Amino acid sequence: MPTRSSPSSPSARASKLAKMDDSIDISQAVTGSEPIPSYRPDARARRYDRQLRLWASAGQRSLEAARILLIGCDATGCQALKNLVLPGIAHFTILSPRITNAQDVTTNFFLHPDSIGQPISQEATRLLKELNPAVEGAARVEDVAELIQTDPNFFLSFNIIILSNGEPDVELALADLLWEASATTGGPDVPLMCVRNTGFIGRIEIQIREHCVVDTHPETTHTLRVDEPFPALEKYARELDLEAMDSLEHSHIPWVILLVRAVSIWKEQHGGALPDENSDEEKAEFKKLLVSERSKADEENFEEALAKAFLAWNKSEVPSDTRNLLEDPSVVTVSTSSKNLHLLLHTLLKYTSTSPHLPPTSPALPDLHSSTTAYIALQNLYKAQYQEDLARFKKLLASVLEGLGLPPDAIPDEEVEGFVKNTGGVAIVKGRPLRESKEAKGLLAEAIKEQFSETFLTPLAGPMHLALLAAERFYSTHKRWPGTKELSDMAEDQREMEETVKGIVSPLVEGFEELDDGYVESITEVVRGGFGCLPNTAAFLGGILGQEVLKLITRQYQTLDNTVIVDLVKSTLDKFRF
Amino acid sequence: MDVAMEPANGFVHAGHRSDDAISSESPYRDIDRVLDRPGPWTDEAFQGTKDFLRTQSKVLVIGAGGLGCEILQNLALTGFHDIYVIDMDTIDISNLNRQFLFREADVGKSKAIVAADFVMSRVPGVKVTPYHGKIQDHPPSFYKQFNLIIAGLDSISARRWINATLVQMVDEEDEESLKPLIDGGTEGFKGQARLPMLTPPTAFPICTIANTPRLPEHCIEWASVLEWPKVFPDKKLDTDDPDHIEWLYQQATARADEFKIEGVTWTLTQGVVKNIIPAIASTNAIIAGKRDGLSPLTSASCCNEAFKIATTCAPFLSNYMMVRRPVVSPLTPQYVGNDSVYAYTFEYDKREDCPVCGGESITAEIGKDWTLERLVEWLSERQNMSAVLHASHSRRADTPRQISKPSLSHPSGKPLYFQAPPQLHDATKPNLDRLVSDLLADEGPELVVTDPNLPFSLGVTIAFV
Repeated sequence: MPTRSSPSSPSARASKLAKMDDSIDISQAVTGSEPIPSYRPDARARRYDRQLRLWASAGQRSLEAARILLIGCDATGCQALKNLVLPGIAHFTILSPRITNAQDVTTNFFLHPDSIGQPISQEATRLLKELNPAVEGAARVEDVAELIQTDPNFFLSFNIIILSNGEPDVELALADLLWEASATTGGPDVPLMCVRNTGFIGRIEIQIREHCVVDTHPETTHTLRVDEPFPALEKYARELDLEAMDSLEHSHIPWVILLVRAVSIWKEQHGGALPDENSDEEKAEFKKLLVSERSKADEENFEEALAKAFLAWNKSEVPSDTRNLLEDPSVVTVSTSSKNLHLLLHTLLKYTSTSPHLPPTSPALPDLHSSTTAYIALQNLYKAQYQEDLARFKKLLASVLEGLGLPPDAIPDEEVEGFVKNTGGVAIVKGRPLRESKEAKGLLAEAIKEQFSETFLTPLAGPMHLALLAAERFYSTHKRWPGTKELSDMAEDQREMEETVKGIVSPLVEGFEELDDGYVESITEVVRGGFGCLPNTAAFLGGILGQEVLKLITRQYQTLDNTVIVDLVKSTLDKFRF
Repeated sequence: MDVAMEPANGFVHAGHRSDDAISSESPYRDIDRVLDRPGPWTDEAFQGTKDFLRTQSKVLVIGAGGLGCEILQNLALTGFHDIYVIDMDTIDISNLNRQFLFREADVGKSKAIVAADFVMSRVPGVKVTPYHGKIQDHPPSFYKQFNLIIAGLDSISARRWINATLVQMVDEEDEESLKPLIDGGTEGFKGQARLPMLTPPTAFPICTIANTPRLPEHCIEWASVLEWPKVFPDKKLDTDDPDHIEWLYQQATARADEFKIEGVTWTLTQGVVKNIIPAIASTNAIIAGKRDGLSPLTSASCCNEAFKIATTCAPFLSNYMMVRRPVVSPLTPQYVGNDSVYAYTFEYDKREDCPVCGGESITAEIGKDWTLERLVEWLSERQNMSAVLHASHSRRADTPRQISKPSLSHPSGKPLYFQAPPQLHDATKPNLDRLVSDLLADEGPELVVTDPNLPFSLGVTIAFV
């Protein structure tokens, strides 16, 4: 018997050692009559409760090992760090040689008027550390350009680098350094996030060579396989004696069972074929078969089954996203230096090459109208099949690892099981070098050509990207940002920026003559901001940066690939892949 | 060269500017740039209204939680100088991973007071006035003093209340009476433009909970909804009390064992009873992401709208009047499963059948044979009276339904049925047994309904069918 303690009794307070990982794996949970342990969360788990619900303890572990470098100690960068210190990264370093001035203090919440005259990286580090005593923070009062020359390995010691409103030449130098380092197999692949803002306009660019997502958190993870039931499921469905059931039991048979049963009978009658999805007649006939065992007209389970009848002619197959992954050359051919995800996908490729040519069955089952016993029985069927599929997968994996000369435990069991349960929830993002976009080559060149072709509708933020690109070239020439001089000089900066954009477009677009209003206005807004920092823009960009860093570190959720432009005049946000 | 610059609050303006000596510029240089220079999309009537922003405006922030902390930070930095904040909550340890104005030593203290003190110490010159209490404690006259109100609330009923109160205050003759409300939530007041993914927590049918549990959530609901009131009839379930959660967890686990259901955990128990997560596990992350992971984005966006309204004040407000859309919806980015960042701004509009914005009147089609009692019941049951009156789907006792104890009178003020005070209740009680058609025969088909949960009176036109 479980112990029943009344609320607020002292015995209930004597909580057992709380376990961080509170999510019991359903497929492994043991039921029994032993006393129920408490698992009441400790102070740390309570502090992080809300975020653990988002990325679970595996994500939190990665976060608590993460080292982040912020280059450029402005409001945008500090807002991003705030959003990372709070959930508990291991370490951050702020790199900036600057001394705090009055403008810094008015825009950046992590500075105080007393900070004026002090090194800005030290002041911000001190105030950011207050947010979470578990996080380590360090300041380096040094120039980034020099450090790239003297100690390039310093940059490779971080998990992610955020470069906030850096000089364009520094951005490129650092991007090159990181891109080259990741070119060697097994070399460090440190993501670089460059952010730039001017007034209401902001842009984030991410450079990473390859990023593996282990859980995109897809909306559904079940694989019901109604059209192609595994033998135990089909046998169970066929052997049910509907006539012997009382009306209560009859109306509580899960709809999955009803469909599997009807599909099985149909296949028997049609030489193994499923109902033809292009034939309304066959579909209607199938539904007739389905309801032929209904005992009265309003049985809820039969209603649910009818609503899901399309599953009978929607053939189960390897989802197209998964198929694309399996066809990737880095998955088809693996080596000892392949990442775990590639090895797992390579194994899945082998797995799906034999009958029934489907990914492993998931132990997940949606809630459906059913009695407790019928539901549990069905759930057990899926769980048993999952275990069987898992065993088959592990055997294949073992032979893959052996073939490569890798130890059998090269990939932790937890990771293998997580993958087998959720093969549809992985992704590989292949990034692009920042240099290509900055030089208006590659995908950006393609996008510009397309943008000026006659059929293309002007996108909202494409012109804004070119305006920012032109501003970066402006800076490289003048060592100052456009819009930073007197009001009367704005027109001059504007004219030069327009010429720069034309200079980017004209070699790519034949017969190009004039910029349309969308470009001119985007340039005006970029110049208007004078590359000043509005606290709201900084907070907004810091929010996106924080989210993207968390996604990269936890390897969960789909990551931004690779450019986002925020326009807070119009309240719009657009993504691009350049 | 000398440039005209506004002297900024709290700082001595050095007066002379050169491009090399940045520190001699106005500390508000970056903000001044967008206020001194019109942009390509700025309204023609735009004029730098720094004075209004920095010396005249009065802003109310409702809620000092995840959104509230961010909003207060951004408003203070943007230059709003006179800020008010209201929150009834105290600080819990689980707030500390995102409510960055609080520290461990603040646990148990008032959110409004701690937040106000912190912002004032970090940003000298700004005044933040805290109110520790409920929004309902303040009369409409309190809300009249503000130019702008930003709501960062998670309670549906509180958000409905403030929206209805502000809309009720609007006097068509007086532009000042229209108070822009910027809603930081992802759920609108007007038109209840719920996102498909933000469906309310599933309320499981009682019969499932009682008879055919299948999911761990069913067992937890059984413990909290059925067992708790049975075992502790006199004690209200406090979802913030870990001992109460512990008891529910024990009960739910025992029941799950009995039915061979797996997956009851402490965290899940807490999540289900506190509505932290909805009952459907696959959507947890999305909802949690919206509720707890996006505060910086949503609030930055809110404050940006506030800044735009405050600094282009006149044209913006009259614009509002024209479209009758006093609720401003900020840009709301979010996580979704197979997309990285995604954002939209959603439209609020007036709904004709909404008693808050649509003339506060509905039509009720009833039978000739209806007694007044039946009408009262019908009104209480009609949670679905309009999309806006859509009560929370949660069946928890602490979320009041929109109409719970209606009192009815003729438009002339003559009472038909009153729930309180006792004298009036006794005097009007006999009317409950009378036919509505008889009661309305003299004064026409209009009725006025008041209710403790409604900050306005609702007009009901009776049509017999």
